[in-house]
Amino acid sequence: MITCKNLTHYYGKRLIYENLSFNVPKGRILGLLGKNGTGKTTTINILSGFLKPHAGECRIFGEEVQNMKPITRRNIGLLIEGHVQYTFMNMEQIERFYAPFYPKWNRDVYYELLKKLNVASHQRISRMSCGQRSQVALGLILAQNPELLILDDFSLGLDPGYRRLFIDYLRDFAKSEGKTVFLTSHIIQDMERLIDDCIIMDYGRILTQQPVNNLLEKYFQYTFTLTQGSLPYFPELFYPTISRGRVEAGSFLRPEEMRGMLDAHSVPYTGLKWTHVSLEDVFIGLTGKY
Amino acid sequence: MKTLGKILFIFTLIVLLLWLLPWTYRFLTATSSNSPFILYSGIINDFAIRDRTDGEASYSDLSGNRYTEAQFDSILPLFYCRQLMAEERLPDTLHGIAITPRSIQTGNFIFRMTPLTVNARTVPLYPLLESMSGRVDLEMPDDVFRMNGRMEFIDMASNSIKEGKSRQFTDMLMKKGFIFPARLVAGNPTVKKDYDEGYLMVDHRGQLFHVKQVKSRPYVRPIEVPTGVDIAHVFVTEFRDRRSLAFLTDSEQRFWVLRTGTYEFVQVDIPPFDPKTMSLTIIGNMFDWTLIVDNGHKKAFYAVSASDCKSLGTMERAATAPSPAREIGKYVFPVRIEFSSTLNKDIFPKLTLGKW
Amino acid sequence: MFVFFYKEWIKTRYYFMAAFVLSLFFCIYCMLNINRVIELKGAAHVWEVMLQRDAIFIQSLRFVPLLLGILAGIVQFAPEMQQKRIKLTLHLPCSAEQSVGSMLLFGAGLLAMLSAVNLLLLYTFLQRHFASELVRHILLTGAVWYVAGLTAYFFSAWICLEPTWKRRLVNLLVATGALRVFFISETPEAYNTFLPILTVYTLLTAALPFWSVSRFKEGQQD
Repeated sequence: MITCKNLTHYYGKRLIYENLSFNVPKGRILGLLGKNGTGKTTTINILSGFLKPHAGECRIFGEEVQNMKPITRRNIGLLIEGHVQYTFMNMEQIERFYAPFYPKWNRDVYYELLKKLNVASHQRISRMSCGQRSQVALGLILAQNPELLILDDFSLGLDPGYRRLFIDYLRDFAKSEGKTVFLTSHIIQDMERLIDDCIIMDYGRILTQQPVNNLLEKYFQYTFTLTQGSLPYFPELFYPTISRGRVEAGSFLRPEEMRGMLDAHSVPYTGLKWTHVSLEDVFIGLTGKY
Repeated sequence: MKTLGKILFIFTLIVLLLWLLPWTYRFLTATSSNSPFILYSGIINDFAIRDRTDGEASYSDLSGNRYTEAQFDSILPLFYCRQLMAEERLPDTLHGIAITPRSIQTGNFIFRMTPLTVNARTVPLYPLLESMSGRVDLEMPDDVFRMNGRMEFIDMASNSIKEGKSRQFTDMLMKKGFIFPARLVAGNPTVKKDYDEGYLMVDHRGQLFHVKQVKSRPYVRPIEVPTGVDIAHVFVTEFRDRRSLAFLTDSEQRFWVLRTGTYEFVQVDIPPFDPKTMSLTIIGNMFDWTLIVDNGHKKAFYAVSASDCKSLGTMERAATAPSPAREIGKYVFPVRIEFSSTLNKDIFPKLTLGKW
Repeated sequence: MFVFFYKEWIKTRYYFMAAFVLSLFFCIYCMLNINRVIELKGAAHVWEVMLQRDAIFIQSLRFVPLLLGILAGIVQFAPEMQQKRIKLTLHLPCSAEQSVGSMLLFGAGLLAMLSAVNLLLLYTFLQRHFASELVRHILLTGAVWYVAGLTAYFFSAWICLEPTWKRRLVNLLVATGALRVFFISETPEAYNTFLPILTVYTLLTAALPFWSVSRFKEGQQD
């Protein structure tokens, strides 16, 4: 559905990333995870045609996004960071405005979602809470019934209840209708419930792209104690922390590989333990705390 | 659309720069220029010149003679008559003719026309005053006329057409051979004058007519124009001495005086004059007139006799020499755009290359 | 197209209603003023003043269309730039020419209607009191102000939609300079020959906001 090849972008002279490539396959929910400033919004902007990348190209449904035929956008639902909508309208007016643009418009989906909210239909969106606004924005995208949904930081400003509501509704919709979703978020906690695949970004590059289940299975959080000396540098260990001889580090090495590596380098250690951890911990493990 | 926007932006930017940069330069380097006062003197038969440099006035004539202020007053007795009267130095006779303060004041006039007034857009509605009301002061009428297919009077208070008066004047005009529509209508519709001579009009064929309202009745007089004269501009004079009815120019830029009463054309002995581009000031007295013609580049002074308009003398002066700043400006801003003009009050873009 | 009119109407209806009332207020003020002078000094006096001096009695309307045009652009397009809301419009399945064009057509159309109502009202009043030559004289003098108002609207939209502040400042300077041209002279009918050219220029300035939008789509930022 989405193919991005060799994206390179600068703001002024500051390099955001270089030669970034990824694909989003049909029917999957893919989350783009990364710390602030790693270029998540930049990627979304390039994808939605609001930023011309310095180099490289992005295709959606095989069409280059900067020169996309307007009609193709019928099948792309876009949620702008902060659930931005036309706040001068009320729920009914905004539905009336959008409907004519989309032949597959499903107003029932929209009103069903909004029934859950405690708002009068003539209340202007500007007077709604952030959570209520997010439901309106989501409702509009779902009613549009697009093949692809692009959501930029949907969790921004939402309390846990609304976040959960949003996620459940979205996942249910996507899975039952076989839709493709590309989203970013800086809150990782809820992602496990939602996304199938994830791309984890660090400054200027992609750390990993794989199905979440895979990632959680392959990633181990290791702890062990150094009996003497210090820990040499291993590229296979992510951000090892050592306090009073106790080492904590994440790795894609299986336990036997880990043991083998430590032995091969004659690292004196005892008490090697490993666990699977949550996506959030994987994320922090891979990108570091800072 | 985007490309059109870009082009338009660049176009606008260039126009603004070509307009505002030279304007700013001119504004910052503007210097005041003083031009000398020059008038023909019938006493010395030469142009008298009063110049002011560094606040100090100097008096001379074209031949180079120098005068004191008192002498200067007395070689221009008709112009400085009030000063001379105050000093009890006013002569009784001049050129063998007895003069009085009253006769001097009657004979003096200042007439001025500039391209700005000549080219001005005026609303073609004209008040026709009563020329012989029997009252000392003139009064504005309660109507104005327009010259469409007829001479149509409109009552101002009710904004309605006065059918009777319109028919009366139109009939009279047609009876005298006026062919509608009018090509030119000239008059001084003001009460700030000593008497009223109504309007001079040129009809569709180019025939000149004198039209006024006398005791509420139309007065229409066709005027014979010398052969070959195609009237271009008419300026009704209504000076105190009642010797001239109007100044006229024709298509060959000749300057004429139309005499009152006799309707006689007298050509003024000056080079071609175009009211659309040159300004003219006439300072006249009972014996001679000084005509000052300014075409923007130079000022020319012509003295003519008041009786037959024959030349008495000529002098030219280049308009003040351009300041160094202006000379430089010519090269710094070789191309300029101006929206206003010294010749008319219209706003219209004009591209100028080189000269200031 | 009409669906954009619907959205723009919801966004700007209070402004345009207020603008309409304000412009009518100024027109009525001018008319009352003329009535008052006619009552105090007689109609003939007003005619004479207009014929002999550069008075047209609607001078207080001079900057009203300009102000309304600038505000219309801001009211309509500043909210689009807040939180980059214009993205929503640009993401709709229709071309930017169509969406932004409809929005501009809406604003310009309402301003044109408002101007037409103003001029028609003035015409109706003036032709009761003055000869057609004078009515023409007054309305031709005022026409350029209304054209300036429309130009100001397109400039205002252009500046609002521009994504970077640096460029916005440049645009503001250029717009100010260009609008100055409409107000060089107060002499009645001074713009008669220039007015057709200015009108064509105004129609062309409608292309400027599209340039801003295309810069926005390229992702230009400060």
